[in-house]
Amino acid sequence: MTVAPERATAGRGSGPVPPSAQRLSWRDKLGRLDAKYTPYVIIAPFFVVFGIFGLYPLLYTAWVSLHEWQLIDGDQGFTGLANYTELLSDKNFWNALGNTVSLFLLSTIPQLFAALGLAALLDRGLRGRAFWRAGVLLPNVISVAAVALVFAQLFGRDFGIVNALLGFVGIDPVDWRAQTWASHLAISSMVVWRWTGYNALIYLAAMQSVPKDMYESAMLDGASRWRVFWSITVPSIRPTILFTVIVSTIGGMQLFVEPQLFDPGGTATGTGGDDRQFQTLVMYLYEKGFRLFDAGYSSAIAWVLFLVILVVAVVNFTVARRIASKG
Amino acid sequence: MSRTLAGRATSITAVALAATLVAACGGGGGDAGDGKIKLSIGVFSDFGYTNLIKEYQASHPNVEIEQRTVKMEQHHTQLATQLAGGRGAADIVAIEEGNITQFRQSKDKFVNLADHGAKELESQWAAWKWNQGTTDGGNFVLGLGTDMGSLALCYRRDLFEAAGLPTDREQVGALWPTWEKYLEVADTFTRKLPDKKFVDTAQNVYKAILDQTEEGYFAKADDSFIGDRNDKVKQAFTLAASLGEKKQTGALAPFSQDWNVALKQASFATTTCPAWALALIKAGAGDEASGKWDVAAAPGGGGNWGGSFLAVPKQTKHPEEAYELAKWLTAPEQQKRIFKETGNLPSEPAAYKDPEVTATTNEYFNSAPVGQIFGNSAESLKPTYRGTKDSKVTPVFGNALSRVETGKQSTSDAFDQAVQEARDAAK
Repeated sequence: MTVAPERATAGRGSGPVPPSAQRLSWRDKLGRLDAKYTPYVIIAPFFVVFGIFGLYPLLYTAWVSLHEWQLIDGDQGFTGLANYTELLSDKNFWNALGNTVSLFLLSTIPQLFAALGLAALLDRGLRGRAFWRAGVLLPNVISVAAVALVFAQLFGRDFGIVNALLGFVGIDPVDWRAQTWASHLAISSMVVWRWTGYNALIYLAAMQSVPKDMYESAMLDGASRWRVFWSITVPSIRPTILFTVIVSTIGGMQLFVEPQLFDPGGTATGTGGDDRQFQTLVMYLYEKGFRLFDAGYSSAIAWVLFLVILVVAVVNFTVARRIASKG
Repeated sequence: MSRTLAGRATSITAVALAATLVAACGGGGGDAGDGKIKLSIGVFSDFGYTNLIKEYQASHPNVEIEQRTVKMEQHHTQLATQLAGGRGAADIVAIEEGNITQFRQSKDKFVNLADHGAKELESQWAAWKWNQGTTDGGNFVLGLGTDMGSLALCYRRDLFEAAGLPTDREQVGALWPTWEKYLEVADTFTRKLPDKKFVDTAQNVYKAILDQTEEGYFAKADDSFIGDRNDKVKQAFTLAASLGEKKQTGALAPFSQDWNVALKQASFATTTCPAWALALIKAGAGDEASGKWDVAAAPGGGGNWGGSFLAVPKQTKHPEEAYELAKWLTAPEQQKRIFKETGNLPSEPAAYKDPEVTATTNEYFNSAPVGQIFGNSAESLKPTYRGTKDSKVTPVFGNALSRVETGKQSTSDAFDQAVQEARDAAK
């Protein structure tokens, strides 16, 4: 990486340059080159690694998606956009997309509101602040597999605690895996549990940079805590909210581990319930690619998922920014 | 300054890249520096190889063996990606019966064991087991058979007693010579004990019935999909589904976490049990249920469920040594010892007819003569033909039965949907 520019300099140096400039330039030029190129050299490793592990697989996936491609045996012939046209008329794909969006909404909206509330509480002068702040992050550092295992027990049909609690208030036991809405609620609760604390800490960091005198003057004017929160705190941390919305969108659209582990059939069937009632896009991708060995189709799903995330993220961004500018 | 910084950055990148590349390549059986041949063997659950490997290493001082164990589902997915990538697979890999049809399609990625003399071994195995491991009309030997499932029915003695049914395993077996009789016993049981379930899941009953027929979803003659017109499929489905409709099943996903809990709570009275399932039942039901479960003959005669093969991927550096080890591990003498240690039933008549095996009883299961029960079942089984796309179609019918059990669909609706989905999957 460093060799190329130096060689270029040497080449130029041998050209017709005034002798005085040449005499001065060695160190001078080197210093200028340093200032000019060093930043690029320093950030280059990221792009090299991204190119190898991010961009290359992305493009390769696009290439695979244009073929009939068997996972083990590889290329079975170029088919153009056949995988994509098949995908658009595949009702399992639309079902998975619907489930993904439903799970995304059910988990992200309560999660971000709960995180806001939690952050507001943490922002007050609590005793043992460090303890509480570390505590909210705890669900996030626990392995997702462990969380899924515990939640699968909680939402057990015959002997689960949730059903036992519902029984106390006279509600009939729910078959959490069999019904669409019930399974979506159970899986969302898992996601909310894992990510609320994480987002709360991000909000908390933003809240702490809100100038305290704004609060004081609002209080002096007799504004309630509720009013202060919505009129001062939330508008002040809008960029951060925007950031968490985008990140949650990307995560939510790629939801995989929680529903996969919630499925008692596991990856052996990989259909996300006996009627695909909670199969997400990534689960469908996994089923096609790694259980049915159809890598071409699976790659097409991956690319469509990529485009969907892009669209949703852009929509999110514009909507959230419009709200911000209105404020 | 720029030189050193940039140089450092480049070298760090280079090191990081090299490290990841090495990590990616890791796993391909290299050789130890001391001139020993390093073999790896990839299995799932417990194949009972730990002690045998030690012994083999002692008698072959130039061979070093590493055993890798992962969960069954992961094992086969991992193997598929390793074959696709051309590296990372173990020198010997286990492949389960339900998955071998899929790998048979990619036989180019495996060593033809016939090239190493495997054909001489053919007579060791039950004919159907040998055939499952071969392709190309028997000319390509993909895998050597390890264990087999055979089939019996496990039942809880205390629940049978409470329902006024016999508890002696001979008498219980005599209650259900056919699956229709099994359904009648279910009705008797449910009348007496309406709060208990007669069987864990309709899915396993269905699989057991279907595995007793000669052809299931695919035609033996040309591997074409016949699941939509094979009466046997519909019959098996309807029989199993009727248990679900009458709420006589626990509607449990087989061998899932819920299944374990239900075992512990003694909430179902019978379950289909291939030889390898005994260990799962024991683990799930726990020590307090010792002696409460027993083993009886399965309705409809013998059957088979499960069992595996050892294959050698072409990417190995030591095909000859790998073959020798696989041959030794699957020989009758070793299969007998594995049975005694783990309960995995030998797939070789010389082993499962051996007095040492037939005399084996299982204390946990009320000292049932498991060697005899599974051996007999193996003798009378009619091997079922598994099509190339069997593993794609099977889950579709499992899901359909689950929809009947949970009351979401009627038997006929569930079946119609399953047939439709199966046609798509078999395309």
